[in-house]
Amino acid sequence: MSVASLQFVAALLLLSAVFFYLPGSQWRQGLLAVCNAAFLYLLIPNGASWVALGLFLLSGYAVAWLLRKWPSHMLLSAYLVALVAAFLIMRKYEFVTANLPDSIAAHAVSIVGLSYMLFRQVHFLVDAIQGQIERLSLWAYVNYQLNLFTLLSGPIQRYQDFYDRWKELGPVLEDGHAVRRAHFRLLIGLIKLAFIAAFFMSLYQRSAQALIQADGGASALGQYAAIGHFLGVLYFYPIYLYLNFSGYCDIVIAGALLVGMKLPENFDKPYLARNVIDFWTRFHRTLGFWIRDYLFLPLYKGIAERWPRRADSLAFLCYFVAFFIAGVWHGPTANFVVYGLLQAIGVSAAKIWERHLLKRHGRAGLRQYLQSSRVRAVAIAGTLHFEFISILFFPADIPTVVQMLRTAFRAVA
Amino acid sequence: MEEIREQVQEVFREVFEDSTLLLNAQMTAEDVEGWDSLAHINLIIAIEKRLKVKFATAEISRLKEDGANVGSMLELVARKRKLSQ
Repeated sequence: MSVASLQFVAALLLLSAVFFYLPGSQWRQGLLAVCNAAFLYLLIPNGASWVALGLFLLSGYAVAWLLRKWPSHMLLSAYLVALVAAFLIMRKYEFVTANLPDSIAAHAVSIVGLSYMLFRQVHFLVDAIQGQIERLSLWAYVNYQLNLFTLLSGPIQRYQDFYDRWKELGPVLEDGHAVRRAHFRLLIGLIKLAFIAAFFMSLYQRSAQALIQADGGASALGQYAAIGHFLGVLYFYPIYLYLNFSGYCDIVIAGALLVGMKLPENFDKPYLARNVIDFWTRFHRTLGFWIRDYLFLPLYKGIAERWPRRADSLAFLCYFVAFFIAGVWHGPTANFVVYGLLQAIGVSAAKIWERHLLKRHGRAGLRQYLQSSRVRAVAIAGTLHFEFISILFFPADIPTVVQMLRTAFRAVA
Repeated sequence: MEEIREQVQEVFREVFEDSTLLLNAQMTAEDVEGWDSLAHINLIIAIEKRLKVKFATAEISRLKEDGANVGSMLELVARKRKLSQ
C-alpha cells in the first residue's frame, strides 16, 4: 500500500475520526499497534522476512537492555558489526553477496524500510549505553520501529521523542483550526506526491530516455535537443525528488498529528541552501542530523581527543567516511557511493572556503561576506547546481550518467 | 553555578579565540561567531576536559538545537558534576 493511495488516506481519516473517542492511552496504543501490524502485513512478502525482522528487532532490544544494565563498548561494537553485516546481506549488497555461498546470497528476505530501521536501531543502542533512554519498553520499542508513519522512509524520529508522545497519546492539535490545517497539509502532500511529482518524473524519464538512446552521439538528437534533454535530466529529477519526498513527509507528519504523534520536520527550503553543509540541515534534515550525531560526531570527537593539533585537517577525513557510509546506506549500487563522495567533496569545499575567508579577512570580513545578498545569490545558485549534478547519480547507474554527460558535452562542444 | 559559568567562559574564550567573550544564560550559537557544528564538538571536548564531565551523543546535539542556550549547557554541566561527586 502506498501512502499516496486513496485506501491509505481513507483509513487514516477513519482512524483519526475514532481515535480520541477511545478511553485512555492504552486503548489508543492498542489500536495504533494493530494499524502498524496491518500495514506491515501488507508489505512483508514471506515467512523468512518475518523471522528476519523479528530477529533484527528483538536482538536490538535485548542488546539495548543489556547495555543499560552493563555498559560495555565491546558488546556494542560487536553487535553493531553483526547488525551491519546482517543488513548488507539482507539488502543484497553485491560486494558482500559475491563472497557468500549461493544458498545464502539468494535468500528471499525482503523487509521494507530496513535502512531506516537500521539507523533507528543504531541510535537506540548508542543512546541506551550512554544512559539517554530513560525507560526501556519492548512494547514502545517495537511500535517505534514499526510505526506506520515512519516505517517506509523518513523522517528519522528519535526514540525519546516517540516515547514522549506514545506514553500518553493525547490530542496534539489544540483546536478545530489546527485539525483543518493538518487535513490541508495531508491534501497538499497528496497533490505533490501523486500529481506534481509524478508529472516531473515523466518529464525526467522522457529526457533521460532521449539522451540514452542518442548513445553517446549528440548528432543523433541534434545539438539543441541534446542540450535541452540534458537540462531536463538535470532539473526535473531533483524537482521530482523534492516534491515526492516532501509530499510524502507532509502526509505522514500530518497523519501522525491526527493521532497524537509528533514527527520532526524533514525539509526547510533545501534548494535555497548556501552551501552543502547548509543543504544537509535543510534536505532530509533528520538524516543529516543522524549522520552528524552518529557518524561524524563520534568519529571526529575520537580523533580530536587523540590528536587535537591535527583535528582540523582530519575533520575532512571524517566528512568522507561519514558521507561514504551515508551514500552506501542509500542503496546497494555504486552510484550511491559516488553520490556520497560528491557530498563529502561539497561539505569539505564549503569548510575550506570558510577557513580561507576567515584567514584572509578575519571574523568581521567573513560576517560582511555572509551578509552580502549578491554573494548569497551566487552561493545558492552554485549549491543548487552542485546538488543537482550529484543527484544525477540517484536514479541512474554510473555508465548511464556518464553516457548522458558525454552526450551533453558533445552537444555543447 | 557561578564557578561553573566562569570555567565554561574560559573554555569559550579559548575555543573561539576571543578574550572579551562574556557568557550569559540566554546566549545561543547564533550569538557567538564561529559556533558551527565543528566548533561545537571542539567546545564540548574542551569542556569535558576542563570540568571533568562526559556528554552523551544525544546531549551534545541537543545543546545546539533550537531552544538550547548557554544556560541549558551550564545546567547540564552542573547536573553532571553533582552526579559525579
